[in-house]
Amino acid sequence: MAQLIHKPRRKVVLLVTGAILLVILGGVGGIVMLLSGAYSTAATTQHFRITHRLLDAGLRYSVRSYARDVEVPALDAPGMFERGASCYQTYCVQCHGAPGIGRDAEGRGMLPIASNLAQSAREWPPEWLYYVTKKGVRMSGMPAWEFRMSEDSLWSTVAFLMELPFLSHAQYAEIAQRANLECELPEQAPTSVDEDYAKIVFRQYACHSCHRIEGVVGPKSYVGPALVDWSKRKYVAGVLPNNEENLVRFIRDPQAVSERSLMPNLEVTDVHAREMARYLLALE
Amino acid sequence: MLVATLCMSSSLAACMRHGGYEPHPDGGDPERGRAAIAELECGACHRIPGVPGAWGQVGPPLDEYSRYVYVAGQAPNVPDVLVRFVRDAPSIAPDTAMPAIEMTEAQARDIAAYLYSLK
Repeated sequence: MAQLIHKPRRKVVLLVTGAILLVILGGVGGIVMLLSGAYSTAATTQHFRITHRLLDAGLRYSVRSYARDVEVPALDAPGMFERGASCYQTYCVQCHGAPGIGRDAEGRGMLPIASNLAQSAREWPPEWLYYVTKKGVRMSGMPAWEFRMSEDSLWSTVAFLMELPFLSHAQYAEIAQRANLECELPEQAPTSVDEDYAKIVFRQYACHSCHRIEGVVGPKSYVGPALVDWSKRKYVAGVLPNNEENLVRFIRDPQAVSERSLMPNLEVTDVHAREMARYLLALE
Repeated sequence: MLVATLCMSSSLAACMRHGGYEPHPDGGDPERGRAAIAELECGACHRIPGVPGAWGQVGPPLDEYSRYVYVAGQAPNVPDVLVRFVRDAPSIAPDTAMPAIEMTEAQARDIAAYLYSLK
């Protein structure tokens, strides 16, 4: 009788122990793989087919879920197609190509490869295209264009994309030649002002490729100074007294503040520079 | 396992030999440099690991200084530049708030040697 009572409990214990052992084994395996250098990070090493399919499916499910509440405006308003064509010419064709036009060198060998947008536009609804364009795709080369384009320009790009599958090479070439509208910069911060948002702003201007910024995950970079304890720093770029106005000035136009500064002008908008400055000045 | 975990949690660089460029000023002595930094009170403005009392917050912290790519954000961080900069900062970065500091060439070499020992 006693045996009968204990049997199922023993099963559970065995199962749980087994699961824990598997997790540990998997972890150890992963670490060994990583530290042995066996994992290839070369862009010539394609994912397994199954991994590729899974990542692809993951992207679709994620986009579908996050784009659920996006409301699509009228895409045939005057000028939208033309502005979208300009944005496409300025920012998209390099990696995605266009009808009859190959992508530039940097867009050819990427892994994952940037989609052919004529196909994407046939298969994806406009709200998905908008979401991916606006937010970018992690671990691919796709940036979040909301930091480089106004809301209107984002939707104009989508309006243009929706027509892309139906353009011949000759039509596209003609449109591209006429495309001379400005792809507008974002007019204001797209979301509310907060600490997490500031971190996104830093990353979207690639600040963390040169600076280690307190609270921002990124590479161990030693190109510019570490931005830690910033509120206690007395100078901006070793030149101007450290305050919000001077920080914004320097971030937006480094050479205007210090002629020989190696910090590049990243065309940071006033709102974004302010966001960065306030974040830094709150670091104690 | 422990090593692996440590490597990943701190810095992987510490576990790997990395590339190559390690700046060394000719004839500089890091230990004499540490003493010179203390004597000249560089720590009034900079945080400098290994130098007692060097907790200044006016200029940037100099932790892991050998890895920095630029001096004052204006010139490549190589021995000749750094040796000149610690002694006569405006000669490298004309607009910098860091003043020229009276010291001998040998002291400047020692200080650079100490900063380059910070990895």
